[in-house]
Amino acid sequence: MKYIKILFLVLTISILSFSSKAVTLNAIMENVPDTHFIKELLPDFTAKTGHEVEMDIMGYGEMHPKMVPSLTSSTGSIDFMPVDFYWVGEFARAGWMMPLDDMIARDGFDTSVYFDSMMKLVGEVEGTTYMLPFYNYAMGLTYRKDLVADPSHQAGFKAKYGMDLKEPTSWDEYMKQVSYFTKNGTEYGVVNQGSKADPIAMEWSNYLYANGGRFHDENWHGELTSDAAKQALKDYIHNLQDHGPVGAASFSFDEAFNVAAQGQAYSYLTYNWFMPSYEDSSQSAVVGKMALAPVPGNGSLNGAWGWAIPTSSPNAEAAWEFIKWVESPEIVAKRALMGGAPTRSDAFSNPEVLAKYPHYDALNRILASAKNFPVFTYTPQFVEVMGTELSKAVIGEKSIDDALATMNSELEALAKKDGVYKN
Amino acid sequence: MSNNLDLSDRRFGYILTAPTVLIITLVILFPICFSLISSFFDYTLINKSFNDFIGIDNYINSFKDEQLFNSIFVTIYFVILVVLLEFILGFFIALLLNSITRFKSIYYFILLLPLLINPIVVGLIWRMFLHPQLGIFNYLLSLINIEPVNWLGDPQMAFITIIFVDIWHQVSFMIILLLAGLSAIPKEPYEAAKSDGANIYECFIHITLPYMRPVIVVTILIRLIFAIKTYDLVYIMTKGGPGDSTDLISYYIYRSAFISLNLGEAAAMSLILLVIIIIITIPLFKYMNRLD
Amino acid sequence: MKKSILKILSHLILIIFSLIIILPLLWILRNSFTNKLNAYKIPPEFSPIIFDNYIEIFSKYPFDSYFINSFVVAFGTTIISLPLAAFIAYAFAKFNTGGKQLRLFLLSTQMIPPIIIVLPIFSIYLSLNLLNTYLGLIIAHITIILPFLSWMLISFYSRDIFMIEAAARSDGATRFQALYLICLPLIAPGLIAAGLLGFILSWNEFIFVLILSGKATSTLPIGLSTLSTHRGVEIALLAAATTLTVLPALILLPFIKKYLIKGLSLGALK
Repeated sequence: MKYIKILFLVLTISILSFSSKAVTLNAIMENVPDTHFIKELLPDFTAKTGHEVEMDIMGYGEMHPKMVPSLTSSTGSIDFMPVDFYWVGEFARAGWMMPLDDMIARDGFDTSVYFDSMMKLVGEVEGTTYMLPFYNYAMGLTYRKDLVADPSHQAGFKAKYGMDLKEPTSWDEYMKQVSYFTKNGTEYGVVNQGSKADPIAMEWSNYLYANGGRFHDENWHGELTSDAAKQALKDYIHNLQDHGPVGAASFSFDEAFNVAAQGQAYSYLTYNWFMPSYEDSSQSAVVGKMALAPVPGNGSLNGAWGWAIPTSSPNAEAAWEFIKWVESPEIVAKRALMGGAPTRSDAFSNPEVLAKYPHYDALNRILASAKNFPVFTYTPQFVEVMGTELSKAVIGEKSIDDALATMNSELEALAKKDGVYKN
Repeated sequence: MSNNLDLSDRRFGYILTAPTVLIITLVILFPICFSLISSFFDYTLINKSFNDFIGIDNYINSFKDEQLFNSIFVTIYFVILVVLLEFILGFFIALLLNSITRFKSIYYFILLLPLLINPIVVGLIWRMFLHPQLGIFNYLLSLINIEPVNWLGDPQMAFITIIFVDIWHQVSFMIILLLAGLSAIPKEPYEAAKSDGANIYECFIHITLPYMRPVIVVTILIRLIFAIKTYDLVYIMTKGGPGDSTDLISYYIYRSAFISLNLGEAAAMSLILLVIIIIITIPLFKYMNRLD
Repeated sequence: MKKSILKILSHLILIIFSLIIILPLLWILRNSFTNKLNAYKIPPEFSPIIFDNYIEIFSKYPFDSYFINSFVVAFGTTIISLPLAAFIAYAFAKFNTGGKQLRLFLLSTQMIPPIIIVLPIFSIYLSLNLLNTYLGLIIAHITIILPFLSWMLISFYSRDIFMIEAAARSDGATRFQALYLICLPLIAPGLIAAGLLGFILSWNEFIFVLILSGKATSTLPIGLSTLSTHRGVEIALLAAATTLTVLPALILLPFIKKYLIKGLSLGALK
C-alpha cells in the first residue's frame, strides 16, 4: 500500500512537472465562428495549463495546401489541427495523424458523447481513433417557417395538393412545397448551390439519400446507377432549373445563402450553420422567419471537422491537453452558447443552449440520422469527379445516365486504387 | 554589335549577368530538376518516396486524360483571346495616353488601381457584381429592360465573363508597359517627320511601330506566360465550370497536385505545359531574334 | 481646329475607359461602408455610412501586420530586382551575354506552374531556416520576378542609347559610369514600368507566400483570402480591405508622375 502511495506521488509529481513546462502550441485554423469562439475562450486554457496557443487563421481553400508541406516534413510546425472529413482518409493513409486511443484510455475521455456516425466520420479510421469530433456542418433543410404558418398558404396548399402545409418530412411533400412556393409568396421555391466541386456534390448527396439511394454497398461496389440516384439527379435538375433562380448552376453556398437571406427563396438545403447567419440582421432580411429541419426523407448529409495531433507535432502531450480542454463539456457548452456548432450530443440537450438556439433541437435530430459521405483516401478527388459530372448534367452537356455512370465507375476505380473495394 | 567584343567587354557582360543567373539557378533549378525526376516516379503527397519508378507512365496517363486535353484547349482559347484583346485595347489606350498632356497622371492612376488588387479578390468581388439576382450588373441591365444575364451559370457565357473580368483586371499591365515604350521613343524623329509634312498615320507606321516592335513583342510574350498561368480567377469564379467550360490548365495542375495528391503526374503535366508554352512562344522568339 | 477635336475625342475615350475601370472600384468603396445585407440589396438603397468594417479588419483580423509584411516584401523584392534586371538586360542588349539560350532559360523557369516549384523550395527553406522569414519570401519573389523584369528592360536599351553611351565612353567615362550615368537615366520609363510591375507582382503573389510564410510574415493576399470563409464571403470586410490594398497607388504616384508623364528627349541628355 505504501509503495502504491509513493508510486502515485511520483506519478503525480512527474505529471505536474510535465504539465508545468508551459509551451506555445501552434495551429492552423479555419476562419469560421467556432475558431473565433475558441480564441476568445483561450485565456481559460492558459490559466488551467500554462500553455499558450497561437492560431494562424486562414480560409478553407488555403488550409490544405498550407498544412500538407508541414505534415510531410519530419520536423513539424503544427501541434494540433482541425481535420475536415474530406481529408481524413488521406491523412490516415499518409500516417500524418497520431493515434489517440492510448491517451483517451489513460485519461478516461468518454467518446460515447458523440454520435456513432460522427465518430465514424471524424473519429475513427479502421478501428483506430485518430480524432475527436470538433464541429459539425451536417446539412439540413432551411425553410421559411413564416410562409408555412401563413393561413392563406395553408389553405392554398391544401386545395392544390390535398395535404397539410407543415414542416416537410417526406421528400415528395417537400418537392410539392418547392413547386407551390415558386412565384407564390416568394420568388423561388428553392435556391440551389450548383457550383462545381463541393457545393453541388454535397447538396446533391442529400437528394441521393432522400430518394433512398446510396453511394456504394459494404464492398464499395458503386450504386450510383440505381433508379434512386437517377431520380435524385432528375429532382435536382428540375428544382434548379424550374424552381430556382437563374444562374444557380454557378452558385456557391455564398451566392445561394444571400438569395435566401434576402428573402427571395422558400427553401435552401444547406449547412445547418447558416441558421445563426439568418438571425443576424447585418446580413439577413429574414430574421426570425427561418427554420431548420432534417432533409425530408432522412436525407441529411453529415459533415464535420475533427481534432487531430500530427505525428510530427513537437508538443503532442500539450496538444492533447488542448483537445481535452476544448472538447470538455463546459467549453463545448460555452462554444454552443456563443453560436458554435459542436458535435457533443450533451450540448444539444443543454437547456440553456436550447433556450437560446431553438434550432439545436432540429440539429440534434439531423445529427442522429445524418448519413456520411464516402470517406476514403480519395474523397476529395471523388468530390471533384462528382462536381464535374453533376455540373455537366445540370447544364445539359451530359445525360443523367451518362453522368451517373461516370461517377459510378470513377468511384469504383478510386476505391480499387485505395484498396477498400472488395470483390 | 556583339560580334566584335573584346575580352573586357565580355567580362563586363558576365559581371552584370552573374548575380541574376546565380539567384535564379540556386533557387529554381533544384525544384525544376526535382519535379523532372518525380515525374518518372509514383510520387504522391501521401507516398513521398522515390521507390516506385514508373518510367513514363505519368506522361502516358496525362496523354490519355481527356480532361487534360479539354483544359489545354480551353487554355489556348482563353490565352489567345485575352492576350489579343488586351493588346489591342491596351495599345490603343497607351497611344491615346501618350498623345495627351493634361490629366495624364489621373488616367494613369486610375489604370493602376485594378493591378493592385489580388486576382482572388477580383474574382470574389466580380462574383458579387455578377450575381444574377443580387448583383449590380443585372440590376442596371434591368433598368433598361434587359432580362437577367446568367453570367457564370452558362458554359459559353461563363467563358466570356472570365475573359471580360481578366481584361478588366489585366489590361493595365499592357498599357503600362506599352506606354513606357512609347515614352522612351525619342522626340527627334517625329519632329523631323513633321517638318517633312508627315501625318499622324505615317508617323505611327514609320516611327512608332518600328521603335515599339521589341517592346510589343516582349509585352505580349510576358503577358502570354502570365495568361497561361492564370488559375486564381477560375478557381474563385467558376471552379472550372459549369461542366468544364472554364477549366484552365494551371487550375487543373493545381488540382492534380493538391486534390489528387499526385505530384508526379502534376509534374509530368507541368513539363508538358512547358513544352506547349515553348511551342506557342517560338514564333515570338524567332521574330525577336530577327529584330536583333 | 482639327487637332483640338482630336484631343477632345482622345479625352472622351479615355474618360469612358477610366470609368469602366473605376466604377466597379467605386462600388467596392461603397460596399466597404455598409453591411452584407445592404451590399446585396437590390435595388440598392442608401444606407447609413458605417466604419465597422474598417475597424473589424484591424481588430478581429491582423490586417495591420498583413500590410506591413506586404510592404516589406514588395519593396524589398523590387529594390533588389530592379538594378539586377537593369544590369542583365544591358548585358543582353549590348554584349548578347550567354546568347539567346540564356535568355530563353531565364524565361522558361517561369513557364512551370508555381505549385510544382514551391514544394521543393519548402523543403530547402525548412533546412535553411528560411521559412516564415522576410528574407525567404523576398528571395522567392526575386526569382519569380527577375526573369520578367530582365526581359522587359532588354527592349529599352535601343541603339540610340548605346550611341550616346559610346560618346560618353570616348569622353573618358568608365564602363560602369557610362551604364550608371547615361544608360539608366535614358531607360527611366522602362525602369519605372518594370519597378511598378515588379512591385505589383510581388504585392499580389499568392502561392509562394502561402506555403513559405507563417503567421508573422503573411501578406495581404493571404489575409484577403481569409475573408472567403466556409460560412460565406465577408463581402463588406473584403470591400474595406480591398479599398486599403489599392492605396499604395497613391504612394507610387509621384514617381510615376516624375518620370513617365514627361516623356524623355534624347536631345536633353546629349
